[in-house]
Amino acid sequence: MTSVGDRAEAWRRRAMSLLLWLLYIFLYAPILYVIYASFSVDIVWPFPPSFTTDAYAELFDNALYADALANSLLIGLGSGAVSTLLATAGVIGVLRYPSRHRGLILIAFLAPLFVAELLIGISSLAFNARLLGLPGNLFSAIAANAVEGTAFAFLIILAQLVRYDWQMDDAAMVFGAAPVRCFWEVTLPTIWPSLLGAFLISFILAFNNLEISFYNLGAIPTLPSVAWGSLRFGLGPELFALAALTNGLVFVLFAVMYVLMRTGIVRFGYRGG
Amino acid sequence: MKRFPPLLLLAGPGILFILVTLILPLAAIFMFSFWRTESYELYADWNLDNYRTLMREPAYLVFLLRSGLGALATSLICLIYAWPVAYFIARHGGRYRLLLVLLLAAPFFTGVILRIAALQGILGPGGLINMALGILGFQPIAALMYTQTAATIGHVYLFIPFMVTAIYLSLVNFNFDLLETAKVNGAGPLRAFIEVTWPLNWIGTAIGIVLVFIPCLASAVTPRFLGGPRATSFGMSLGQQFGETGTWALGSAMGVVLFLASLAVLALMGLTVNLKRSGFTGMGTR
Repeated sequence: MTSVGDRAEAWRRRAMSLLLWLLYIFLYAPILYVIYASFSVDIVWPFPPSFTTDAYAELFDNALYADALANSLLIGLGSGAVSTLLATAGVIGVLRYPSRHRGLILIAFLAPLFVAELLIGISSLAFNARLLGLPGNLFSAIAANAVEGTAFAFLIILAQLVRYDWQMDDAAMVFGAAPVRCFWEVTLPTIWPSLLGAFLISFILAFNNLEISFYNLGAIPTLPSVAWGSLRFGLGPELFALAALTNGLVFVLFAVMYVLMRTGIVRFGYRGG
Repeated sequence: MKRFPPLLLLAGPGILFILVTLILPLAAIFMFSFWRTESYELYADWNLDNYRTLMREPAYLVFLLRSGLGALATSLICLIYAWPVAYFIARHGGRYRLLLVLLLAAPFFTGVILRIAALQGILGPGGLINMALGILGFQPIAALMYTQTAATIGHVYLFIPFMVTAIYLSLVNFNFDLLETAKVNGAGPLRAFIEVTWPLNWIGTAIGIVLVFIPCLASAVTPRFLGGPRATSFGMSLGQQFGETGTWALGSAMGVVLFLASLAVLALMGLTVNLKRSGFTGMGTR
């Protein structure tokens, strides 16, 4: 009886892992297509293959892409930093200092998750332009992107810190550490992987955001808005080239992470055997 | 001097930030929805004309229904596919769990537009799939080219990582030993899943459904490039009011409708959550 159950269990496990790999293939097929097309002579009809690196030369020649990349990076870094900072403080507050307003605080931090990006974009455009009289600028774009980023960062950090043992902090405080020192020397070394994860997610969201940034920036170019604009005359192969380079970098980072996990140098919060 | 409560000091800035950058703008479009636009300017004469227009013109209702049905289909597909995947990562991912989840998020490094364009390149006429079918001597699949189906595939592509992550985060905090207890007490795997795993992870699942449904309902870019001429979505039309046509007041009213629709879905999902029966123990009991 047990062996039948075990065999069924093993079969289910294989089926689930198959689904996972199929999902990866589905998710990465378009990414591989982007990389493939970036080397193609004709990106609209890229089959049969014929290769060139023209798109890469063009990418480094054109100032528009450098501008757009710089703006996107600024929005990503700014929004990522603001989001992670606000969310970390919020999570620690909620978990360390129980209060009857806890539910309300959670709702406030997580509310942006349930408002569509398009709505955040148009409402902050309407608010800034018509009520405050502000033209679109990088700061308003960073702020509007950080709304969503804060909620995601809060969720990620909360999910990890729920299991954090605050008695370590209490111990440090008993031995006379000030709250700030306690945070730097006890809390942060333990929780940094989740903060990094939160920063990365809020960075990517803002870096690649179209709908929030587009409505908040007016004529200032970002990578997504350049892509959006160029779709009307057919997508520039330079954007495919840039995406290919970005993905190359990401894959290298993941490979490094895999090696670190494999060798157990950094465990990224994993505590099992 | 009175000591500042630490909770206010820690959570206050974030709440203030969300109040100023989310709640106030939403209140602003709520106000504008009762105003009037004339040659790209907003005038504050209070009226209900925008809402009347939305109700009188059948096109807007069609857009909303189309977006709603699309979002429903996408959520269901994501839900069914994401569960076994999230379960596998949480239960059998071992030390690579985080990496496996991050691999689901990595496609976000490539912008939505490029990924949609690439999907178009794969699904469209002359794309990878139909090209291969042509070489093998089959008819191209028309359903994949500029149809609602193609738009739904695009939505699943964009949003399924959210669903997997939400369910995964719930399962990571789920005590799998409970399944052993269920087994010892004579429950088969299916019954243990229906009576233990599913209800105890329903909050995470419900969050996943909402995280897929809401952006899908507001989606504008995907149906525009994958959906073809008869796929105009509510989001596309809403975006146009703030762009090409410049009818901000009507656009604001559409924004309010979209917000209320999202809120209704959220409330509906909220009603299904029973904190006592979901194993919620009040977060980090100290």
